Amino acid sequence: MKLKNFSSHSLAALCLLCLAACGSQEPRSVLNQPASAVDLSGFWELNYSQSDNIQARLNTLVRELRKRSGPPSGPYQQPGVIVSGPGGTNSGASIIGLAQMADLITQSQLLEVEQDKHSIKVKRELDFALTCEFYMGEYQTVETPLGKEICGWSGHQLIFKTLLPEGLIIQHVLTVGPDRQWLNVATTVTSDRVTSPFTVNRVYQRYQPQDNGYTCKMTISRGRVCTTEAQ
Amino acid sequence: MRRIRACLLQGGLFAWLLGPGALMGAELPTEVDPAAGVIPVGAVTLQVEQAPREQEMLDVGLAIFDPGIPADPSTHSRQGIFPEIRKAEAQYIPVLLRNALQNSNAWGVVRVLPDKQAAAELLITGRILQSDGRRLLLRVQAVDATGRVWLDRSYLDEATEDDYPVGPARDPYGDIYRQIANDLLAARRQLDARQLPAIRQVALMRYAASLSEDAFGSYLQRDPQGLYSVVRLPAEGDPMMGRVERIRNQEHLFVDTVDEQYVNLYEEMAPTYNLWRQYGREQAIYQQEYEAQAQTRERYGRRGSFTAMEQTYNMYKQIKIQEQDLDEMAQGFNNEVVPTVMEANGKVFRLSGTLETQYNEWRGILRDIFVLETGLPAGT
Repeated sequence: MKLKNFSSHSLAALCLLCLAACGSQEPRSVLNQPASAVDLSGFWELNYSQSDNIQARLNTLVRELRKRSGPPSGPYQQPGVIVSGPGGTNSGASIIGLAQMADLITQSQLLEVEQDKHSIKVKRELDFALTCEFYMGEYQTVETPLGKEICGWSGHQLIFKTLLPEGLIIQHVLTVGPDRQWLNVATTVTSDRVTSPFTVNRVYQRYQPQDNGYTCKMTISRGRVCTTEAQ
Repeated sequence: MRRIRACLLQGGLFAWLLGPGALMGAELPTEVDPAAGVIPVGAVTLQVEQAPREQEMLDVGLAIFDPGIPADPSTHSRQGIFPEIRKAEAQYIPVLLRNALQNSNAWGVVRVLPDKQAAAELLITGRILQSDGRRLLLRVQAVDATGRVWLDRSYLDEATEDDYPVGPARDPYGDIYRQIANDLLAARRQLDARQLPAIRQVALMRYAASLSEDAFGSYLQRDPQGLYSVVRLPAEGDPMMGRVERIRNQEHLFVDTVDEQYVNLYEEMAPTYNLWRQYGREQAIYQQEYEAQAQTRERYGRRGSFTAMEQTYNMYKQIKIQEQDLDEMAQGFNNEVVPTVMEANGKVFRLSGTLETQYNEWRGILRDIFVLETGLPAGT
C-alpha cells in the first residue's frame, strides 16, 4: 500500500466499519469503546519502503515555511534563520531539531498492541508504551508534572497527544488499513519555536512473532517464568 | 506514587486536535482528601512485652487487606490508584504489620491469611484508603473470636525526606505498624486474666461449629450484642474435638505454607516498591515546586533546539518507563499462582488458582474429610 494512498484506504476502512454492522467480522468493534473503534491488537513491524523519509519531509517543511513567509528578506535576514517567523521562530536549528525529534520518537521498529474492552497498550520497541483507557464517548486526560496526555478514539483512529514542557507537543494517530494488515502511525511534533508542525508517517505491517515453543509471564517472586505448556 | 489529575472529557469532536491550548484550561474534578481529620501517628516506638505469659498470647489472623479500589475504573487515574500495584500493596502491608506484631513479643502465632477466618482468636482486617510515596492511610479493625471489637479506626502516616532512600529492613511507614501494634497491645492489657483464655475457647468452639453446627453449635451462645461465649465444653479427651483440632491444624499448615509465599513476595517486591514510592514522593513534591524549578532548571540547549527537546522528552520517557515497569511488576503479583501441594488423610491434593482460591478449596476439602470421618452434617 502506497503511503500517499493511505487516506483513501482509511476511507475504505471507514466504509468497512459501516458494513461491519451488517455482519462483517473485520474490523470488529470492541466493547466499551465507540462503535467505530477497531481492533489494533497484534504484532507490527516497520515497513521502511512504505514509511516517510525524514529528509524528504524536512525539505517539504522548509518549502512550506518559505512559501508562507513570502520573498526572502535579503541582507536583513537574521543569522541562522532560514525562514523568518514571528518572535524569532523558524531558525534552522529549530526546524532541523524538530525533524530530529520526529526521527527520535518514531524509531521503534516493532510494536505490540494489547487491547481489551477497557484499554489499549501500544508497546513500542526502545520507547515507553502508549496506553489509554476507554469509557463510553469520553477521552482520557492524565496530567503529571512532566506532561499531559490525552487519548481516545476519533472515529476509527486512535489518537495519543502528549503536551510536554517548553512548548513541545507530540501526537500519534494510529489508523489501521481496511484489511487490518497495515497500521499507519502518523506522528506530529510541534514546537513553539517553529510555526509549522512536523509530521512523519510510519507504516507497520502485521507479523507473527516466531514461536519459540514456550510462553512467559511476569511474576514477582520468580521473575519471568516461562513454560512449555500449551496456553 | 505520582500525583495524577485526570479528566474525562465529553464530546463528539476532538477539539484538542486543533491546537495545544484548546484543553489547557479544562476544569478538573475536585478531589476529596481521604485523610481529612485523621491525625498522623508521628514517630512511634514499639512497645515490647518483656515477660509475656503463655496463656495471654493469643494467635492472630491477619487477613489480606482490602485494596480499596473503587469499582468504577474511570475514577482510578483521577485518584492516583494503580489497581495492580494496589492489589500488591494489599498483600505487602499485612506482612509488615505481622512483623511489628511479632517484634512486640506479645502474641502467639501471627499468620497472614489469604481470606478472613471468622474463628481466629484475634482477626485483623484492613482497607487501604490511600497509599503513595507521601502518605499511607489505613482503616484497621481488630475483632476477637467472641466478637469484641478491639479497635476500629483510621491510621495515617506521612513519609519525610529522611525516610528515603529506604534502608534494609526499614519502611517509610514503619511508625503506622508500630502504632497499630501498640494499640492492640493496649487493648489486650485491658482484658483480665479470665477473658483471654475464654477467647481461645470460643475460637476453638466456633471453628468446631463451622465444621458441624449440629454437633458443636450448642456449646456456644450469643448475647443480644452479638458476642459469643462458651456455655459448656466437651469432655477432656473427646475424640470429636481431637478431630476438630487436627482439621484446624491442617488448615494452619496450609496458611503457614502460603505465608512463606507472602514473605517471598514481600522480600522480592520491597526494593522496587520502595523506589516506586520514593519516586512518587519526589514527583509529588516536584509538582508543587515545578514552577519554581522551571525558572532555575539547568537546560542543555536553547528552547526549541534538538538538545533541549530531547532532554524534555527523555525526562518524560524515563518516568513513563519506570512507571510501566512497576505496573508490570505489580501485574506479576497476580501471576503468583504457585500450585500448592498438601497432604491430608493420606491423600495428596494439588491446589491451584489464587491463594484465596486455594485457601477456600483447602478448607472445603478439610470439611469434606471431617464430614466423612464423623458422619455428621456439614457446618454452615
